[in-house]
Amino acid sequence: MSYDASARQERGTVAAHASDRTFWGRLASWAPYRALVQVATASPRRQFVILAVFPILWVLTQHLGPMLQMLRVSLTDAYPVAANVEQHFTFDNYVRFFGDSIFWMPFFRTLIFAAAFTFCTLVLTYPVAYFLARHVSPKNRMLLLLLLLIPFWVGEIVRTYAIMILLGNTGAVNMVLRWFGLIDRPIPFMYTSFSMGVGIVYLTALYMLLPLYSALEKLPKSLNEAAADLGAGAWTRFRRVTLPLTLEGISSGCTLVFLISTGFYATPVLLGGPSTTVFAETIAGFFHVAGDEWPTGAAFAVIMFLAALAITAGFQRLMSALRKGDTK
Amino acid sequence: MTKLILNRRKFLNTAAASGAVLASPAYLRRAYAQGGEVNIWTYNDFVPEAFKEQFESETGIKVNVRLVDDQGKQFNLLAAEQPNPTVDIMTVAGHRFLQFIDSDLLAPLDTDRLSNWGKINPTFSESDWATINGEKWGAPILSGMEVLAYNSEIVSPEEAQTWDTLFSETYKGQTAYVIQDMMSIVMLMMGYDGNMVAYLDDPAKAAEIVEEAKAFLIEKKPLVRKYYDGGAEVQQMFVNQDIVLGHSWNGPAAALINDGFPLGMAIPKEGSYGFVYTYNIAKNCPNPDNAYTFLDAILSSPEIGAAMTKASGFISTYKDASNHLSDLEKKSTSFPDEELANLQFFRAEANEMKYGLVDPAVEAIKAA
Amino acid sequence: MTRHNRILLSCFYWGFVAYVFVPLILMVTMGFKDSKFIGFPIKSWTLDWYASVFADSETISAFGYSVAIAVLSTLISVVVGTWIAVLLEGRKFWGRAAIFGMTVLPALIPGIISAIAFRIYARYLGIEPGMGAIVWSHAVHNVPFVVLVVMARLSTLPKSQIEAARDLGADPLIAFLRITFPYLVPAIMGASIFCLLLSFDDFVRSFFLGGYEPTLPVLIFAKLKSGMSPEINAIATVALILTAVIGVWAERFTRRMNKDS
Repeated sequence: MSYDASARQERGTVAAHASDRTFWGRLASWAPYRALVQVATASPRRQFVILAVFPILWVLTQHLGPMLQMLRVSLTDAYPVAANVEQHFTFDNYVRFFGDSIFWMPFFRTLIFAAAFTFCTLVLTYPVAYFLARHVSPKNRMLLLLLLLIPFWVGEIVRTYAIMILLGNTGAVNMVLRWFGLIDRPIPFMYTSFSMGVGIVYLTALYMLLPLYSALEKLPKSLNEAAADLGAGAWTRFRRVTLPLTLEGISSGCTLVFLISTGFYATPVLLGGPSTTVFAETIAGFFHVAGDEWPTGAAFAVIMFLAALAITAGFQRLMSALRKGDTK
Repeated sequence: MTKLILNRRKFLNTAAASGAVLASPAYLRRAYAQGGEVNIWTYNDFVPEAFKEQFESETGIKVNVRLVDDQGKQFNLLAAEQPNPTVDIMTVAGHRFLQFIDSDLLAPLDTDRLSNWGKINPTFSESDWATINGEKWGAPILSGMEVLAYNSEIVSPEEAQTWDTLFSETYKGQTAYVIQDMMSIVMLMMGYDGNMVAYLDDPAKAAEIVEEAKAFLIEKKPLVRKYYDGGAEVQQMFVNQDIVLGHSWNGPAAALINDGFPLGMAIPKEGSYGFVYTYNIAKNCPNPDNAYTFLDAILSSPEIGAAMTKASGFISTYKDASNHLSDLEKKSTSFPDEELANLQFFRAEANEMKYGLVDPAVEAIKAA
Repeated sequence: MTRHNRILLSCFYWGFVAYVFVPLILMVTMGFKDSKFIGFPIKSWTLDWYASVFADSETISAFGYSVAIAVLSTLISVVVGTWIAVLLEGRKFWGRAAIFGMTVLPALIPGIISAIAFRIYARYLGIEPGMGAIVWSHAVHNVPFVVLVVMARLSTLPKSQIEAARDLGADPLIAFLRITFPYLVPAIMGASIFCLLLSFDDFVRSFFLGGYEPTLPVLIFAKLKSGMSPEINAIATVALILTAVIGVWAERFTRRMNKDS
């Protein structure tokens, strides 16, 4: 034991005696506990190791582990392994994706839809965030923001169902249109990419709104005023000052929304139709319907994850390049 | 083909004729008082709520129902759970029997333990598909068929006499079907054997036919509103007027008719397929005694059969069940003879080959 | 000009409010419809659907199941998440960035992929589909949120307090339990409520890792697949009110805590 530690221990005993009656005092002077603490804190290094071992093990086995195991399974020909079957290493599951064009449609559809829905979310929430951050007094701001947060506490399934009631042929929108005599026959909104888009934007709007709001809130008002003094119009001010300075918020919001959008399963199943089958449904099919083909499903999930990562990484680089270009 | 086909008309006639009204027997007065539970995988409305409550209160056996909407999914679930399944009784469509038996997922049914076995119409209980490897594998409860259902305010009965209407430009975006079932029907439309039994010795020909049917459905994909899975989905789409015409099982369609919805149904002239739902006991099931108690109880009275028909719209396999139906319900569960002449039953002999080809084709159609 | 902008933007805001609220209001309303089928117009009204929610054993047990899963998974997430946060905040060591990256990984993986990965890993670990598997997957998935919230709070903890405690002879564990932990309580509470709601609302993981019993979202999904009826509206409304009330309460709670500090 180092001098420092033993001295501290010494003082510790004194302090413990002083507050003997409290729970903590009793704990601190309880012999087994003291022995344990002495061993554990013998050196800063040991202390750090004890603190660090569990988190490191946890993130390795629980956070990274599932992804690695999925990667491993995607490279085998049989999983779960039956009693008398031998498991082999193979790239066949990946070859299957690139070899069979029927899987490309849902794959690219997913990426294109996710990008389009992300863009819609951005366009829709930016003015809302802008209004909240720039035109509302700080006192009311939280209240108005809170108002928007309430629906987002409600789960994915419930909100998807709510959209079904809104858009169905006997849904609210069609009923209102009919009331005003604008249509005779209901407009078939449901089971299209439109209904799916309305649903997904509804589910993801918050993840866009919050980063945008915090980016806009940080923006000093004086900048805009200065630009106005220099004679810049409202649109120019927005384009040259506000937008560039909120690129970071846009970038993180879009990344988040894009990643979330690619992962939806229930919403496309419930709101989508024959022409909107997304890759999530294809992947799920390998685990549910068309016989269990876990390795293929795993390979497809890996492909999708890598594609989504690559796109978001590319997007973020683009955004940071834009940011640098603008501040020059 | 099967005895079922030969006796089909006779069966339906018996069902329509009136017979002696059976008093509801005191099937549970024996007070089994076994307690415990019984786990059932089945479709919506296949266990009448009133029956379930009575059964639970009189035997103390808790009935856990898990809804299934797809035979393939049910097969995968059970296969994954073996050798220690959580389910006791499951609902298998007769033509899917073989797949379950071959994979050793079902226990043979000991009909001696079912005192009410004789209350099933022998057309179903004694038909050839019901006996495999010399054993009985399930208790038939409801019978159904693939029909063309249509909103009778918009589509005429004449139009419903052919499956072609389902693929006509007139009703673009207003149709729906179950792809898997439609594959068999499309093969039939094209003049092939949708059961694929005829091609057992010619896998190349079989693959060609499936490919042709697949190409047809992909070509017609822009016309369909929604591929669906469950009977209630098609009901909802009819009610919402999302569709005016669709392939359906007769059960969900009949249930809508009984609710007063302007719906018609037909067995089109190209023909269609029929099937029988059975209750089966899973191999190594956790509560076999309770499962037999439940089966015997549910078979005990034609009234229970009629209640299942009322709720599900499928045709009861119980003797004299139709005596307990209203006129409208009777009407919605019977078909004209000339239409029935076009009906054949699903057969299981070629299932392994058939679904080996059809399942990937279904995925491909969905993805296209 | 600015005035016009302001009016325009405020219209946009209230339009957005309508977008997020109207579907839910419609859903609640539809639960009062006296008919087996969903759709407008509503001709007659009834309370039966709402009454039957509280009489339906299936719904009630799914509800209890979801709550139990939420509580258990939250307990795990909070303990693990706080531990990781304490390790990561304010310390510099080799590999810190990598650990941080791995920590937030589960929050970034798209839902379906996360569910598939968990399903495969559960099989690998020998966890049967069912409650254990769902609790585990929710716990892992929610850890990153706890870490981020707790780290944010931890970064504002005055270092002098810990040092004072250590000078008074408290060992690191007692210093943590008596100084750091009480300081973190508001953040931990906030994170817990967030985790509870995430778990309670989760569909995709519960769907792929579930066994015989459905959680509430899985039950609603199954019921939706087997036909829409006002019964589902009633169930969904009860779930909605519960989650919204807890959410609002949590929001106010965190705000008060931020004011106090």
